[in-house]
Amino acid sequence: MDLLIEGLKKAIEMLISGDPEIFQITWLTLRVSLTAVLISTFIGIPAGIILGLTSFPGRRLVLIMINIGMGLPPVVAGLWITMLLWRSGPLGSFSLLYSPFAIIIAQILVSLPIIIGLTCSAFQQIDEKMLLQIKALGATRFQTVRLLIREAKIAILAAIIAGFGRVIAEVGAAMMVGGNIRGETRILTTSIVMEVSKGNFDVALALSFLLMSLAFLITFLLTNLQQRNRVR
Amino acid sequence: MKVKRIFSFSLIAMLIFMMTACSSSTDETSSKQEQPKAAEEVKDLILATTTSTQDSGLLDVLIPLFEEESHTNVKTIAVGTGQALEMGTKGEADVLLVHAPASEQELVDSGDAVNRKRVMYNDFILVGPADDPAGVKGMGVGEAFQKLFNDGAVFISRGDDSGTHKKELGIWQSLNITPGDNAGYAETGQGMGNTLQVAAEKQGYVITDRATYLAQKENVDLEILVEGDEDLLNIYHVMQVNPEKHDKVFSEGAEKFVDFMIKEETQKVIEEFGQDEYGEPLFFPYTE
Amino acid sequence: MNPMIRLENIQYTKKDRTILSVPSLSISQGEVLGMMGPNGAGKSTLIKILSCLQVPTEGKLFYKSEELPISRIPLEQRRKWAVVLQQTLIFDTTVFQNVAAGLKIRKVSKSQIKEKVDFWLEQFGISHLAKKNAHQLSGGEAQRVNLARALILEPEVLYLDEPFSALDYPTKVKLLKDFKAIIKQTKTTTIFVSHDISEIQFMSDRLAILMDGNIVQIGSTATVLNNPNHYSAPFIHDMSLHIE
Repeated sequence: MDLLIEGLKKAIEMLISGDPEIFQITWLTLRVSLTAVLISTFIGIPAGIILGLTSFPGRRLVLIMINIGMGLPPVVAGLWITMLLWRSGPLGSFSLLYSPFAIIIAQILVSLPIIIGLTCSAFQQIDEKMLLQIKALGATRFQTVRLLIREAKIAILAAIIAGFGRVIAEVGAAMMVGGNIRGETRILTTSIVMEVSKGNFDVALALSFLLMSLAFLITFLLTNLQQRNRVR
Repeated sequence: MKVKRIFSFSLIAMLIFMMTACSSSTDETSSKQEQPKAAEEVKDLILATTTSTQDSGLLDVLIPLFEEESHTNVKTIAVGTGQALEMGTKGEADVLLVHAPASEQELVDSGDAVNRKRVMYNDFILVGPADDPAGVKGMGVGEAFQKLFNDGAVFISRGDDSGTHKKELGIWQSLNITPGDNAGYAETGQGMGNTLQVAAEKQGYVITDRATYLAQKENVDLEILVEGDEDLLNIYHVMQVNPEKHDKVFSEGAEKFVDFMIKEETQKVIEEFGQDEYGEPLFFPYTE
Repeated sequence: MNPMIRLENIQYTKKDRTILSVPSLSISQGEVLGMMGPNGAGKSTLIKILSCLQVPTEGKLFYKSEELPISRIPLEQRRKWAVVLQQTLIFDTTVFQNVAAGLKIRKVSKSQIKEKVDFWLEQFGISHLAKKNAHQLSGGEAQRVNLARALILEPEVLYLDEPFSALDYPTKVKLLKDFKAIIKQTKTTTIFVSHDISEIQFMSDRLAILMDGNIVQIGSTATVLNNPNHYSAPFIHDMSLHIE
């Protein structure tokens, strides 16, 4: 119990003192997570729509892979990316390992399947008759998709919220591909691990409060967006 | 309703904007590595070291000093000793700062490490519960280990192939003891900090480097029981990854780092480190 | 006079079962054609084929004497018709937006949309519901939205598949009266399917009876109802028992 209070005190201390390192770490965490979620959204939603509305040979297999991907352990993703990006790897000449870019890639890898999978199931569940009615109204393919996105808005935002949750919590891959380098790739989650390893529990707790506040804020905004104009 | 919507949207839009504005600047610095060094260019130097070295806080003092005078950006990757050495073998790091002399020698022999210089030492100590149920306080380390084994005491090992772990295994080996035969023996597979915490929780005995112990003393309910034994020296070396064997290595920067670590001013900083906080030094200068 | 719509040798088969077989059918401009038949007779299929929402296995469709490329109907052609399906498929947005949906698809200007939507909401007596979310409406109100959404398009042909079946009687009566007035006023060619004889009697000029995928009788409503032939007689007889 004392530890909790210690942690809270430390958190407030750190914020008030305006410790630049804390802000830098927090800002990097936000940047990396939001970029990853945004990219996953822009790729994942169209992919999910196509997967949900069309049929093609091998669709079932693709869906199975996506669903497996939803449960992909981030450390595994981190390991594969490390092997891709390190100097002896195929992409070694770009020196991308131990950079925020590498962390973003890892986070995209773990959030993309979630967004694709959930969007796909939302669109797969759309009533055939609804599609027919939209067709009857004379909509082009593009207009149809836009209308359907509006209808499935709640499910789509749920997918994004889930993707964001996965990404902001990510630590194993970020540690591996980022290296937890001070000032460059140190984010809130990796900082917490490090502070615990050092025995600085109060700092670790303080950082965790900060992380939770961040997660709360973003999720709050997204949920409001989702529940806007709620009917029931 | 509408106000909330506008607020949410503009906040998200603002975040996106700031993100794209800032991310380009950071990504640029890392992609500039490929170009030849210009006067103001800052290149990346990958330093592989151990978690205990980083956790001691020494690097937080030394690295900024080095970066300033050499105009390089040091990427300190703190991992287990095994991984650090492996990164050397694979040419994934430019310079190594580790403390496992026997394994380091293998790297020199295989031609992966060059320009290996001794930097500093600290020592290992045996810590354990304050009430010392096995009664090993004040003994020599070999004697203590034998007693702990005979008593079936709770002994926590790092079990991760680190310098500390190898030191511990060396002692068991010299006594011809298989530590696993003791039911109270446990391996955490983790870094020194975490291993100490586990030992504290279980009120067991553990071999640790002095620096980590001092840094964690407040949080960890263990006392120093055996120290000063010759067998317990923990020696640090710095070495370059051989640029002839691995062509992607940033050798100029690595060489500068080796020079930096052994020069007098730096050695002085090492000696003074920790004096204020712990009242005693954590590391001792030990160049050749 | 040339018929507006003409079907020729339409067949629709699915897995060796012939669901629909219509050698010929002609519909004149401005007429209201009713369709009745037992469940599974193929009425919905026929409506979908007529409105080009479904492609027949064989056959041709002529619209204003021109043959239509049924498998690849150009969008402008499809946009000349309006279809109201059996379920009220309302979008999760305001009544206004729902009614405007078809116009927005056709890229009508915002001011024009406002004008038309206001007019048609008035016509169906639901102006007061303009800002309400369509999912909160009662069955009758939702159906009015559905119809308004179709009629606002000023279609050349209006296809309706049991549009009033979900409504309770008093609501239905009121709506039917308004609807018929509008149809007659706009002279919209209308084809509609129903289970309810009184609806058919009230609305249609002609009546077609479908059974097992075939049109077994077609003629003026009065004729068919009063002089059912060999096939339609049992069906009409059953339906007649429900007339008040």
